Amino acid sequence: MEELVFSRAEFEAVLPSAILFATGLLLLLMDTCFGDRDPNEDSSPKTHLVLTGVAGALLAFAALSVSAGDTSVRLFAGAMTDDLFGRFAAGIIILATLLTSLAAGGYLSGIGKHRGEFHALIFLGAGAMVLLAQATNLISIFVAVETLSLALYVLAGYVRAWRESAEGAFKYFIMGAFSSGFLLLGMAFLYGASGGSIQLADFGDGLDPVLGSVGTLLVIIGFAFKVGAVPFHSWVPDVYQGSPVLAAGWMAVAVKVASFAALLRLVMATGDSANMAGLIMAIAVITMALGNLAALNQTNLKRMLAYSGIAHSGYLMIPVGLALHEGSVNPKVLAGSLFYLAAYLVTTLGVFVALSSLKHGDRDCDTLDAIKGLGRRHPLIALAITLSMVSLAGIPLTGGFMGKYFIFRDAVLGGYWQLAVIGIVTSMVSIYYYLRPVVAMYFHEPSEKIEKVEAAWGLHLALGITSFGILYLGVMPERLVALSLRSVERLGM
Amino acid sequence: MNGLPILTLIIFTPAVGALLLSFVDRKNESVMRQGALMISLVTLLLSLVMLTSFDKSLGSYQFEEIQAWVPSLGISYHLGIDGISILLVLLTTFTMPLVFLSTWKCVTDRVKEFQICLLLLQSGMLGAFLALDLIFFYLFWEAMLIPMYFIIGIWGGQRRIYAAIKFFIYTMVGSLLMFVAMLWIYKHAGTFDLPTILASLQSNPMAREEQLWLFAAFALSFAIKVPIFPLHTWLPDAHVEAPTAGSVVLAGVLLKMGTYGFLRFGMPLFPDATVVFTPWICWLALIGIVYGACMALVQNDIKKLVAYSSVSHLGYVVLGIFMYRQANGADSVEGIVGAILQMVNHGLSTGMLFLLIGIIYERRHTRQLANYGGIAKVVPIYSVFFIIATLSSIGLPGLNGFVGEFLILLGVFKVEPLYAVIASTGVVLGAVYMLTLTRRFLFGPLVHEENAHIADVSAREIVYLTPIVVMMVWIGLGSKSFTDLVEPTVIQYLDLLR
Repeated sequence: MEELVFSRAEFEAVLPSAILFATGLLLLLMDTCFGDRDPNEDSSPKTHLVLTGVAGALLAFAALSVSAGDTSVRLFAGAMTDDLFGRFAAGIIILATLLTSLAAGGYLSGIGKHRGEFHALIFLGAGAMVLLAQATNLISIFVAVETLSLALYVLAGYVRAWRESAEGAFKYFIMGAFSSGFLLLGMAFLYGASGGSIQLADFGDGLDPVLGSVGTLLVIIGFAFKVGAVPFHSWVPDVYQGSPVLAAGWMAVAVKVASFAALLRLVMATGDSANMAGLIMAIAVITMALGNLAALNQTNLKRMLAYSGIAHSGYLMIPVGLALHEGSVNPKVLAGSLFYLAAYLVTTLGVFVALSSLKHGDRDCDTLDAIKGLGRRHPLIALAITLSMVSLAGIPLTGGFMGKYFIFRDAVLGGYWQLAVIGIVTSMVSIYYYLRPVVAMYFHEPSEKIEKVEAAWGLHLALGITSFGILYLGVMPERLVALSLRSVERLGM
Repeated sequence: MNGLPILTLIIFTPAVGALLLSFVDRKNESVMRQGALMISLVTLLLSLVMLTSFDKSLGSYQFEEIQAWVPSLGISYHLGIDGISILLVLLTTFTMPLVFLSTWKCVTDRVKEFQICLLLLQSGMLGAFLALDLIFFYLFWEAMLIPMYFIIGIWGGQRRIYAAIKFFIYTMVGSLLMFVAMLWIYKHAGTFDLPTILASLQSNPMAREEQLWLFAAFALSFAIKVPIFPLHTWLPDAHVEAPTAGSVVLAGVLLKMGTYGFLRFGMPLFPDATVVFTPWICWLALIGIVYGACMALVQNDIKKLVAYSSVSHLGYVVLGIFMYRQANGADSVEGIVGAILQMVNHGLSTGMLFLLIGIIYERRHTRQLANYGGIAKVVPIYSVFFIIATLSSIGLPGLNGFVGEFLILLGVFKVEPLYAVIASTGVVLGAVYMLTLTRRFLFGPLVHEENAHIADVSAREIVYLTPIVVMMVWIGLGSKSFTDLVEPTVIQYLDLLR
């Protein structure tokens, strides 16, 4: 038997996810050792768990910068690749996890559902997501997808007392298993099409045209489930509605980043040999249109944000289609997706964290009626929600605008101005529903009793960071734009 | 100017002021009010300092500032001012202190947010007038909507929510297509920098068909803002529901964004398309002139009447802008110069009318004409101000409105006499509805007992009304000092439309 030896590069490459996994396990241990399972315990802020989580996330973030610069190194016999692209995506995932664990203490104790599993689960999930962002063979991709999914299923059903939580978790599990089936079948086809290789790097020109196309198509469908692209999106609103609002926010961002990272790597590897550009663009168009239209008459904020998340998956698909256009693979345009995801992180997590700082008895405060008059009651939280909404709608001076600008610009430069026009028209539609919470918060008088959670320093800090991030990316985007452009340079090589 | 980034200072003074005000305790309302007024006065002062070193003989951009901003995405921070924008910038900085002063008594709810919204709005407007990079302009153009949306939606009247949403969606829908058109230009010229694009278009013009589409996208956005008939339907709602300050800013400055957009971007970027679209836009403007005037004739709500008069007046401005070339191919400067002057005039006269309506509304809480009549005896000073504003609005010689209208009609007559004939009916109708308004509002017998004890204008109100009257007379009698600022630029500008 061969001896297992890690090279230094391999060690550095797995360091971030290893730290995240270790933090997750540590959190589980801490919870069992220090928690005495007293029912009242669920309302305590458990600051030790929050601080441990934050420290773990910061450490993992620091570990991202340990490995070398703009190189692309294949490690573990091709199972993973250490490059700037992977680290960019991992950075977003870790930041999302950091902000979530920062906010979790105040939120969960506020609704009286604070248990250590929550912290442990997001870190275990995040570890798998970081691995997925770096994975470059079929096996490692699949293992990462399954690991992160397990964490998500449990999080979706985290609040056992809520009926919709159980329903959402069940639906998520069934749909997730179903999509894994597609993914696995597609991988099997790719394995056959490449003549028995599991390495993405081998999926270039040598792919059997028929088997390769079917395989790529099935894998794309598998990931379309994960990111909630139409027509594989029906689980998203139910899962968001059932999940605790903070978990929904974390899922919305982190899953999307990890799945898109994997999808981009895969698409870059198979190239346009499978003629997928048209299909991906069609998915993008339908997803943008349907997501935004369905969001129009939602009165539950979580459902509205779920449809908005679906629509954003559509925008994110545009660069993927562009990258494949006319048979030549052009990874440069994928920078738009990366930047968009970074802007999406602060924007979306901003709303979810803001909603986490409110409660309605022991329930989430998640309807349009519930936030009426928030502008008078809690002006700063209302301001943060407004900022996020403005950014989601893609109005200037916010990260959301820069992201859309980046993507639409590439679409027009790539000769697909129609995509940009459709994107713009769907954005127009979206403005209507993004304004509805703003109308409710500022233009209506308070109707219901909204409470603010106590012990919310972590929530406020997280909210401050996301709001600052939205404005920073809207006003000074240059550094991140340049970084995202550098990140995709070596993709597909 | 001695390396001092004066334009940056002008744009961002209100925004920085808004940031400072956000740290003031909300209970401290008087500090908030005085602070906002001071900030707007500082901005006015800065713009006057800029004016003193403005070389009016030059027709090119002055005080230019260029910085790379997001080089990876091709956006630059490029500011500049010329004869087309200088009067509008001054109009903005001049109007805002008066607006702040006018809100001292009537805005009592959420004073802090109100002042901050107005200051941010001012920064947005100034930025849009001074930006010379397409995307940079777009940022201000859009960002401006948000404070205005809140001003209408929070501090507005009964149907404020409907009006705010309508205003926002209308304007946003228009501007998004302009955004795609900007990206297309970028694809063609490789930059968003307006002077660079215009220079490169001289040697490498866009195809005619391309121009038609792009011009249409830009024109839709600007036409909604102006508004040009039939895209005007948001305006009466927004004006009627907005609080006084909102109406003044909307009528005084915001509407000019549209006509300014045509001048700065729409026409020079797409000269061939402009030629094709000119008759269409002119006819729509003519319809707007007559239609707005007819609608104004039958209104019973004073504010709505003035709102429809804006539709009519802006029709002249649009008409003037597009009368830049005579049939024999010679340039005609009168139309554009008159239009630019008329933008200022309309800002002054309509702004003042809205302020006056606000004053009477504060006292009587009604804007229905039927509830007034004969109040000239009760509030004589108020009535004098109202009559001056009316006369300015209908273009009495000696006041500002006359000069602008005369120049525009002169320009129109040189190019298309038929248009001039139709447009003049608007002048006549304007006199009819404004004088009818004055008669029904101020004169006649005092029917309603409640009106017998209305207080006349206070000292504070006189303070903010008088500067407008001074400007009206100054422009009316000494219009040359104003047109001199504009003319050299317009003469150079017309070369771009070749």
